[in-house]
Amino acid sequence: MFGYILRRLVSGILVLVTVSAATFALFFYGPSDPALAYCPETRCTPERLAAISDQLGLDRPVVEQYGDYMKGIVAGDDFQAGAISIACDAPCLGVSFKLRLNVTDYLWGRFPATLSLAIGGAAIFLALGLTLGVSAARRRGTFSDKAIVSSSLVINAVPYYLLALLAYLYLISEWSIFPASGYYSPFSAGPYAWVKGMLLAWIMLGLVYSTQYARFSRGSMIESLNEDYVRTARAKGLSERRVTLKHALRAAIVPVVTIFGLDFALLLAGTIFTERIFSIQGIGLTALDAIGTKDLPIISATVILGATFIVVANILVDVVYSLVDPRVRL
Amino acid sequence: MGIGPTETVADHAADTPATAQEIAGRSPTKIALDRLRSDKIAMICLGIVVLFVLIAIFAPLLTRLFGVELRGGVPIEDTKADSFPIIGPPDYGFTWEAPFGLAPTTGDDNLAEWFYGARTSLFVATVATLVSTVIGIIVGLLAGFSRGWLDRVITFFIDVFLSLPFILVALALSPIIVSRFGADAASLERWSMFSLLFVLSALTWMTLARLIRGEVLSLREREFVQAARVIGVPTRSILFRELLPNIIAPIVVSISLGLPTFVTAEAGLAYLGIGVAGIPSWGQTVNRAVDYFSTYPVYLYAPVIGITVLVIALNLLGDAVRDAFDPKTRR
Repeated sequence: MFGYILRRLVSGILVLVTVSAATFALFFYGPSDPALAYCPETRCTPERLAAISDQLGLDRPVVEQYGDYMKGIVAGDDFQAGAISIACDAPCLGVSFKLRLNVTDYLWGRFPATLSLAIGGAAIFLALGLTLGVSAARRRGTFSDKAIVSSSLVINAVPYYLLALLAYLYLISEWSIFPASGYYSPFSAGPYAWVKGMLLAWIMLGLVYSTQYARFSRGSMIESLNEDYVRTARAKGLSERRVTLKHALRAAIVPVVTIFGLDFALLLAGTIFTERIFSIQGIGLTALDAIGTKDLPIISATVILGATFIVVANILVDVVYSLVDPRVRL
Repeated sequence: MGIGPTETVADHAADTPATAQEIAGRSPTKIALDRLRSDKIAMICLGIVVLFVLIAIFAPLLTRLFGVELRGGVPIEDTKADSFPIIGPPDYGFTWEAPFGLAPTTGDDNLAEWFYGARTSLFVATVATLVSTVIGIIVGLLAGFSRGWLDRVITFFIDVFLSLPFILVALALSPIIVSRFGADAASLERWSMFSLLFVLSALTWMTLARLIRGEVLSLREREFVQAARVIGVPTRSILFRELLPNIIAPIVVSISLGLPTFVTAEAGLAYLGIGVAGIPSWGQTVNRAVDYFSTYPVYLYAPVIGITVLVIALNLLGDAVRDAFDPKTRR
């Protein structure tokens, strides 16, 4: 077990190093001169550009620059450009000279919105998806089972962002059934404002994701309901409720854990569509804005951050898998 | 229900009642296609998809047939001071001059934009599906068949690509390619189309590659592959003549589920602001129409319905194809 986790960690770190190198090469080296982004557009003389380039160390070999970037992540760094000096403690993901701030702090400030969105959405889709899936599996072949399966197929077939967009336009803009969306900190603005701003985004996220979980948990539930030990449990005279929830669901939930881990990581990496539609200032919207303004340090930081979430989730999922399912030995 | 080549005709007694007792040898693909043909929902969806394909192919003809013109709006002549069009919705009733109305501000015709939007959508989805499938097949075959260091290197890169947040990277990468190569206005359109196709296919081949690698790993130990190797069949022929026909089912399923994903992705990226500059796209129209929604909902509905209907039809067709090729998934 320990050896396995260690091996996974090493390969995960290798993957992240590759991702960061590729990101660095593409975003810092690929487009036109990065110094141009730091040069005030109205007063950018060639001399000034060269000076900035020199100060940022952009005239040094790319490998050296990448080494500095990695050093910044591990040990922190300080940035100087002209009269501006920006301190950046580890883990330093660079600084945005456009916004004149440290990217790590900036993203850290945006993270609570994304985290709230992910937690609320995940709570809804897990509860709804598992309930629907389990009840469909128990009533397999009946009308309600077919209704659940076919409606989940259809909802799943509609592009998510269109559903969310129409829900926003009608339920918030036109009819004002739901309160205006946006992120309010539960600590400074109070939990009521927090829930109010997130409500429809949570519901849409929960509804659309739950269809996938309903189908998935239905499939694995049907499999485990056919197992011998479930028959034994029934033969012992246990209540149907106990058989389903304690015996069958315990085994059926294992594959659901796997996709949940990865979905949750993807949500944390930034739900760009949800955040854009409901104007929630999270990581995804930050990345989208940064792409609009070509703010390369922020874009690459969000890509690396997203990749980190996905890699960590992959490792965690495998570890949890072995804990939940004793048949899997690592 | 198995998918063995000797599945009895009796299973499909409704089709051929006269030969109910005979056992016919049919290929797995033919059995799957027969199943698909008897699936009513799949056939309706296929009809819808074919309709969209025809619209896409004959977009220039259709625009002329309806007497509309692509991007033919003259802002001063076709729109009023409040930027809404002088004919059709939202201020006036339906007119044949512009069945879907004109776009606010620009005065471009929405129907022409819609026809050409179908074209962009299906073209991008088809090419991206084909390219990503071909990459997936080749990489998967190589990794599964080679074993050793090449397999390990490929698996590592599959892991790397799988760890990238797709939408974010696609959004970030596309403008970089365009700004690098599309220097002048003439090549801008070509390069932005290329960058979109490149980004879509370069970030999506991994799932199929991993699937095929797994299949090949188990197939390569089978007798027929060993026999082929013993009689001296070159590796290339083993890969493409012996192994490939045996993994046709997952490939077909991956293609049929890939198409709706790419239609969704193309429109989604265009909605977020990354698309092919200058070429009509449903996603771009959605993006523009959101601001006018409260006064001019038709403007938004045309592309929304286009995307939704096409994607639902493709998705349900894809699900049916999957069920036909792999009946185990249907419980």
